Amino acid sequence: MAVSDRSIPTLDSSGDAQSADRPSITRDLAEAARDIVQSRGLLYQLALRDVRIRYKQAVMGFGWAVFMPVVIVLAGCLVRVALVRGAGGAVDRLTLAALAVKALPWAFVVGAVGFATPSLTNNMNLLSKVYFPREVLPLAALLAQTFDTVVGATVVAVLLLALGVVHLAALVWMPILTLLLFTLTAAACLFLSCANLFFRDVKYIVQVAITFSIFFTPVLFEPSLLGPSGARLVMLNPIAPLLEGLRLSVVQGHNLLAPLAAHPATAGGAPVIEWAPWWLAYSACWAVGALLVSVLIFHRSESIFADYV
Amino acid sequence: MRDAGIEFREVWKKYRRGEMHDSLRDLVPALVRRAVRLQPSADVLQAGDFWALRDVSFTVVPGQTLGIIGANGAGKSTVLKALTKIIRPTRGSCSVRGRIGALIEVAAGFHPDLTGRENVFLQGAIMGMSAAQTRAKFDQIVEFAGVGEFIDTPVKRYSSGMSARLGFSIAAHLDPDVLVIDEILSVGDFTFQERAFGRIRSLARSGMPVVLVSHQLDRVAELCTEALLIERGRVACQGSPDDCIGMYLSGGTAGDGTRDASVTGEPVALHTLHLRESSPVRSGDVIGLRVSGTVADALLPGTLEPVSFSVRSAATGHVVFASSSACCGIDLNGAGRFTLELELQMNVPAGVYVVETSVGDQLHGRGARGGPAVNVCVTDGTGFVGVAQLNPVMRLAEVRLPASAWGPPTA
Repeated sequence: MAVSDRSIPTLDSSGDAQSADRPSITRDLAEAARDIVQSRGLLYQLALRDVRIRYKQAVMGFGWAVFMPVVIVLAGCLVRVALVRGAGGAVDRLTLAALAVKALPWAFVVGAVGFATPSLTNNMNLLSKVYFPREVLPLAALLAQTFDTVVGATVVAVLLLALGVVHLAALVWMPILTLLLFTLTAAACLFLSCANLFFRDVKYIVQVAITFSIFFTPVLFEPSLLGPSGARLVMLNPIAPLLEGLRLSVVQGHNLLAPLAAHPATAGGAPVIEWAPWWLAYSACWAVGALLVSVLIFHRSESIFADYV
Repeated sequence: MRDAGIEFREVWKKYRRGEMHDSLRDLVPALVRRAVRLQPSADVLQAGDFWALRDVSFTVVPGQTLGIIGANGAGKSTVLKALTKIIRPTRGSCSVRGRIGALIEVAAGFHPDLTGRENVFLQGAIMGMSAAQTRAKFDQIVEFAGVGEFIDTPVKRYSSGMSARLGFSIAAHLDPDVLVIDEILSVGDFTFQERAFGRIRSLARSGMPVVLVSHQLDRVAELCTEALLIERGRVACQGSPDDCIGMYLSGGTAGDGTRDASVTGEPVALHTLHLRESSPVRSGDVIGLRVSGTVADALLPGTLEPVSFSVRSAATGHVVFASSSACCGIDLNGAGRFTLELELQMNVPAGVYVVETSVGDQLHGRGARGGPAVNVCVTDGTGFVGVAQLNPVMRLAEVRLPASAWGPPTA
């Protein structure tokens, strides 16, 4: 039934003949990177399109870029007020600053993943008609969301200045943490958009996951509230150390190379580890590993996108 | 680019009939399999699979323009998708040397909410132009499309013709090394179609390799130097445009254009059709044809047109002339075996024509059954332009010139 392999050479459509036989991970990754760099003009135009259509015929315009983080901050304040009523303590300016610092990146992750997941299927007519490196579609959605986040970040910066929360440690750690968060989100965007092309139910799962993941991510609460083992558990979420790192460095001015332990209010309880430096390494491994794997999966399934879309 | 070109070698493409039932349960294994390339052998047709392309090969070198024709669903667009790397062939290889410019769904990247200007840059980027290149060509693009005053209006307010014209105009200003065109010569109004066709013709004449898919057979005949007829994924004919178009129109079988589909089982059977002259003939020449057949029984009185014939233009597909034995005053009643001789004066413009015979009343489309057919290639003879030979007779009846025009020069 099967035709023998020898008689039919399975050649690459691009014409480089030696490629199909031995798939090389490094070559595929280099190829994907080269494709993306070469089509940066297209990436820019597509991101520009996504940004433009988001604000065209919208009354609030750029207000929408700030709206989502503001809603998250308000929700966080509500949760805090409820906690304060139950357990004592106070909602002070540092709590508000911490909420804002964590709400913005969270809104970025949620928005980017939400926009990028259906990016391939929404551009079905392009996929089946024109050739270009398909990576640019989810990445353009990511960049458009990045633009929103930059607008939101200026608002957060103003808020921090107004609250008098200014620390030098922020300048060191914020770029690193932001880059890791960006990498992790890019990986998720590439993987989920690709998965959604083959299995349309991914889009619905992502919606549900986004809604409920706020309970498993320390956005509205600090992990230390969950006790020693709870804090360690929630830190397994690769985004958690990044958000906590942002809060500790930006709001508390903590040096992330040093561990930090909080002593519980009740005497005699075990101290809760608030920060351990290796958590950052853990997130970094996740970010880099996930990006490499998702780029590889995306690049290798790219050639059959048009058949499945 | 001097060595630009296309090579399509033994390309097979498998597709699946019906829907693909993928569920999330298959996601992880499928992605892993894809990542490590452990796919099932590509050469096996599983249940529900079919070959959209079967062993298609061709090359296009500079100076050549290849026209691909065939019925809907024959696989023409699949060929172009393989060429433009949108799909990967199941087997075989296709390689394109040089930058490929694809005029396929030229407005595919347009977003209705963006203005014409914004869409030009977006579509340009999708087709591989840098922003600087687009900026340099922007005025030409807008002028060619003829949408100047609406360039800052959202495309959703454009008429469908306007956005198609803008899309074509962007694609036409790509400066590719190789051009691939899919059925977009019918964009816009008549004036624009002529302009678009002129643009493509000038690109093709400049030596750029071109692949053109079209149902406008006269355009294929005019523009292309080579042609490819695809039937159900296979190459049915490869060669001159006239041959391919002729075979496409006559339903496609034998290579020399003679179709020996004898009609039997009827009171009248047609067996063979021969052309006396060797094709090509000159426009205005007389051709002779011999049709042989049999009348089995005495014909019913209602059988008005036992043998009819028609001449169909390969370029347009239109019947330019049709008649029948009864019209020519021949009574075949009870003839037994017969041979008809037919002479036709080919007062038609240059092109390929298919002479088709049939049993039954073809003139009125009643019960006609196709018989043998033959292709006749007509070359330019009397230099006549148009669709009909009206045998002009012109006399100089009177000449009255103003005196000033021819009068002696005044001193």
